[in-house]
Parts: sequence; C-alpha cells; structure tokens
Amino acid sequence: MRRAFTALVIASLVLGHSSSAHAYLKFGVPIGGQQVTVKWAQTPVRYFVSDTGVPGVSAVDFQNAVGRAFATWQAVPTASITYQLAGVTSALPGSDDGSSVLGFRSRPDLDRVLASTSFLIDSTTGALIESDIFFNSAFQWSTAAAGETGRYDLESIALHEIGHFSGLGHSALGETEMISTGGRRVLSAEAVMFPIAFAPGSIAARTLKADDIAGISDLYPDGDFQTTDGSLSGTVTKDGQPLFGAHVVAFDPASGSMVASFTLNAQGQFSIGGLSPGPHVVRVEPLDDADIDSFFDSSHTVDIDFKVAFFDQVVAVPKGGDSGQIALKVVHK
Amino acid sequence: MIRTGIATLAAWSALFVCSPAALAQSGPPASRLELGVGVRWIGVEPLGTRAATETTGAGGTSPLFSTTSELSAAAGIDGRVGVRLTRFLVAEVEGSYSKPELRIAVSADAEGAAPITATEAIQQFTIGGSAVWYVPVHQSPRFAPFAIGGGGYLRQLHASGTLVDTGSFYHAGGGMSTLLSSGGRWHSKGVGIRADVQAFIRSNGVAFDGGSKVSLATGASFFVRF
Repeated sequence: MRRAFTALVIASLVLGHSSSAHAYLKFGVPIGGQQVTVKWAQTPVRYFVSDTGVPGVSAVDFQNAVGRAFATWQAVPTASITYQLAGVTSALPGSDDGSSVLGFRSRPDLDRVLASTSFLIDSTTGALIESDIFFNSAFQWSTAAAGETGRYDLESIALHEIGHFSGLGHSALGETEMISTGGRRVLSAEAVMFPIAFAPGSIAARTLKADDIAGISDLYPDGDFQTTDGSLSGTVTKDGQPLFGAHVVAFDPASGSMVASFTLNAQGQFSIGGLSPGPHVVRVEPLDDADIDSFFDSSHTVDIDFKVAFFDQVVAVPKGGDSGQIALKVVHK
Repeated sequence: MIRTGIATLAAWSALFVCSPAALAQSGPPASRLELGVGVRWIGVEPLGTRAATETTGAGGTSPLFSTTSELSAAAGIDGRVGVRLTRFLVAEVEGSYSKPELRIAVSADAEGAAPITATEAIQQFTIGGSAVWYVPVHQSPRFAPFAIGGGGYLRQLHASGTLVDTGSFYHAGGGMSTLLSSGGRWHSKGVGIRADVQAFIRSNGVAFDGGSKVSLATGASFFVRF
C-alpha cells in the first residue's frame, strides 16, 4: 500500500521562547477531516544514538544519559510503551531515513533552542514512522550525576524530548517570570513537558510528574489504566462566550498531584484524563506563563484576559469514568 | 463469651458513669425487643491540609495554592432494633443516613485567585451493631443510664452518584433512656426517649491523609419496647 508521509517539526525545549506545537499533552494531525492522535503503532520503539560527543559529554555518556531517560518513561506502570536501543550510528538526527536518531547538532542560529524533536508521520493513519531528537551543541552539556554548574543536564532535557518523541505535547503546569534580556525564567514547574527548561545545573526535571504520567498513560494505556483512572470534563466561558486555550488544572487533595489540560475547541470544552478517582479541586488560568505558540499554532486565538479562578464545587472523579460536565466561568482581569 | 464482653464494657463504661453507687435491683424494663428511630448529629471531621506545589529548579517546592478540607457536621436520621441478651445488656442493629458536605477551602493562590470554599454534598449511609450496657446503679424505674459501643460499615456516595467511598466506623459513649409510659399502645411494654453522646471514629471513606477521623456525635431517639 502506498503511503503518504508528512514531516512535522517540533522545536521543543527552549530558553525563553518556543516554536509551534499542539496542545494538551498529545499531538494530533487532521486526517480525513478528523483530528487523529499521533503515536507509535508498535513497540518497542527502536532508536539509534549518534556516535558523536561534545565537550563534557562523550558518545558513551550521551548514550547512557539518553538510555536512563528512555527507561524513566518506560517505567511508568500504567503505560505500555517500550523503547529499544537499535545501535550507534554516524547519521545525524533530522534526516528522514526511517530511523529514529538522537544526537548532537550544532545550531548556533537557534540561540534559544536546547533541543528539538522532529517526526515523520504516516499521514493516512497518524502513526509515527520516525522521530529524531537533536541536542544543540551550541550549549554546554553535562551528564554528571549531581548536575554541573553552568551546563544543561542532558538527561533532563532528553526526558522532555522523549516525551515529544512518544507523541506528547507541552504542558503548561509551570510558573515563569519575564527577564530583562527577553524570554522567561522558570520559577517552578510540575511537568517535565513544560516548554521552558530550568537553569543550567538543575537536575530537577529528571523525574516525571503526575501530568506527564497521565499523558503517556493516556497515549499508551496499559493494564487496567482505563478502568482504574477517571476523567474530568466541562466547559470554560467568559461573559457567556466559550473560551479557547484556557488552562484547566485538576488537583487531587489526597495525593497533592496536578494534571491539566486546555479548552480545545470553539465550544470551550476540555477533558482531563488519567486522574485518580476521588474528589478534585479545579483551577482555571490563562495561558500566560509561556509563549502561546509553545502550545497552539497561529491559527488559534487564545484569550488570556481573564482572572485565575477556582470552581466552586468539589468535583468527584469516578473510577473508570468521567465526572460529568462542569461549567467554569471566568471574568476579565 | 458474653461474660467477657460484659467485663470489657464495664471497664470502659466507668469512663462515662462517675457514680460509685452500689448495685441496685432496679434497671431497664424486662422487655425483649426495642425499636427506635431518631436523629443523630455527627460533628465536623477535619480532613487535613494539602498544598498544591510545583518543583523548583533547585529541587525544592513552590506553593501554587493551599487547601484545607473537612467533612462538615450534619444531622441525619437513624434507626435501630435492640434485643435484650441479659438483664443489663442489649445488642442492637443500627442504620443511619445523613448528608454532610465535603468542604475544601482554597487559599493563598500564587497568582492571586480569590479564596473559595469548594463544596460537595455527600450522602452517608451506615449500618452496624452496638452493645448497650445499662449501668446497674441506683436509679428510678423510669431512667436508665447506659454505656454504648459498637461499629460497622460506612458508605459515602458523592454528589455525582458515580463515586463511592467505603469505610468503617466505631463509636463509644454513654447516655440515658427514659420511659415515658409503660404498656399500652401497639401491644408494647412501654415507649420512651433516649439520648446519647459518643465519640465517632471513622476509618477510610472520604479521607485525604489516610488516618482515622474522630468527631463528636450525639443522638436522640424515640423507642418502643415489646
């Protein structure tokens, strides 16, 4: 059968700004008038690592750090995706040759992009054919166990990129502040898939958070994930009008975990999956802690002119089901 | 077995009955069966405080907002059937229904969201058993102090109707029953009222920190003895 291929490039973990991606944890492509989730059709997903190191990170160091990051995603008990090192290659990431390659490339022109993931997608099914990750050797890298001052932690950045590699988009669970030289500085984040990296030296993003785990489990559900976890859904309106791109967070007071999503259509609807059954607090906020184009392409208009608010009811998430539609109303700032 | 149970009950009932009076011949009427219906109030149960936090670059945490949760006090209805086992000991089967409110107060939002208390109505059902020991002290024929203790199964249904929490409960305390009349209606041997104050201990059910919850409970009921 003849297949048509489409290349979709995602500039991902960045310093201060980012390029386009899709929203709520999962990538999607329009096929036959419908949005289809982008994911690997078969596992284990085989990948190659580049045989080239950079100052401070040998090729072996690179392979080991990337291997640890893959293992972290693979260890999620509610997700079925697995990965397999296929070998070492001299090929560079970014060439559409059917092999997924991770490696360094020097891109000094991308002075705010630490790393990036690109895809080759079967445009008739949405299945991933190839996914390459390049790490920008214009920056200084480290694989030291405790991190290294002034150098970006390769394992942390790889963990984020492998999320994209697997089909996840960005999460907005983080707080930032603008900096005088332009861009943003991350104050805190509760998702590895937050689009902006911690400062050099930090190893805080080596651990997946609830939002990341919900996302990968939603994409590749394993075992009884779909019957043991629940979801929460509803709409967000401002002045009676549906709101697109509002960031909705579900907080579980029992575990302290947060999982989030966005309103993703013209009706202002959202759905948050992968939640532990039980009461949840719901918070809605504007998408103002990262550049909007980190989440939505320019065809969407995202309204960020509203106040952060909480839903005035506790929302019970059932086991293996949905909370039922809740209606969140927000007001102008 | 019964003798052992009586000894145990006697030991802790001393906590609730301070009278050192000698044993008396008077006591509760020698009816065999008692049916009661009434109201029960269970006090507020704190469920703890939990902050929503995000991870900082140094590996610490930064609070996004804070929550304090409780299951509100609520009055409900209860009913029971008691069977007299000995002169002073009654075994009861009991059930209750109440509708407390789960309240989660949200505050200290890092981005300035207005504090709010999110709520949810919970339907709480209990079924269990109790042992009631009528204290053998000097008393009038109409008034009978007693100690009570028991436990059972608890089921809490969330407002959506799609989520159920289950757990167990225990209670212990004391009270007084009063006969309003002897014999007469409904082929009964008497009717009266009963009031009690107890410690109510809940395990599991709606809980965020896993521990048992202790609250004050009090009830009043109307009973008929046969």
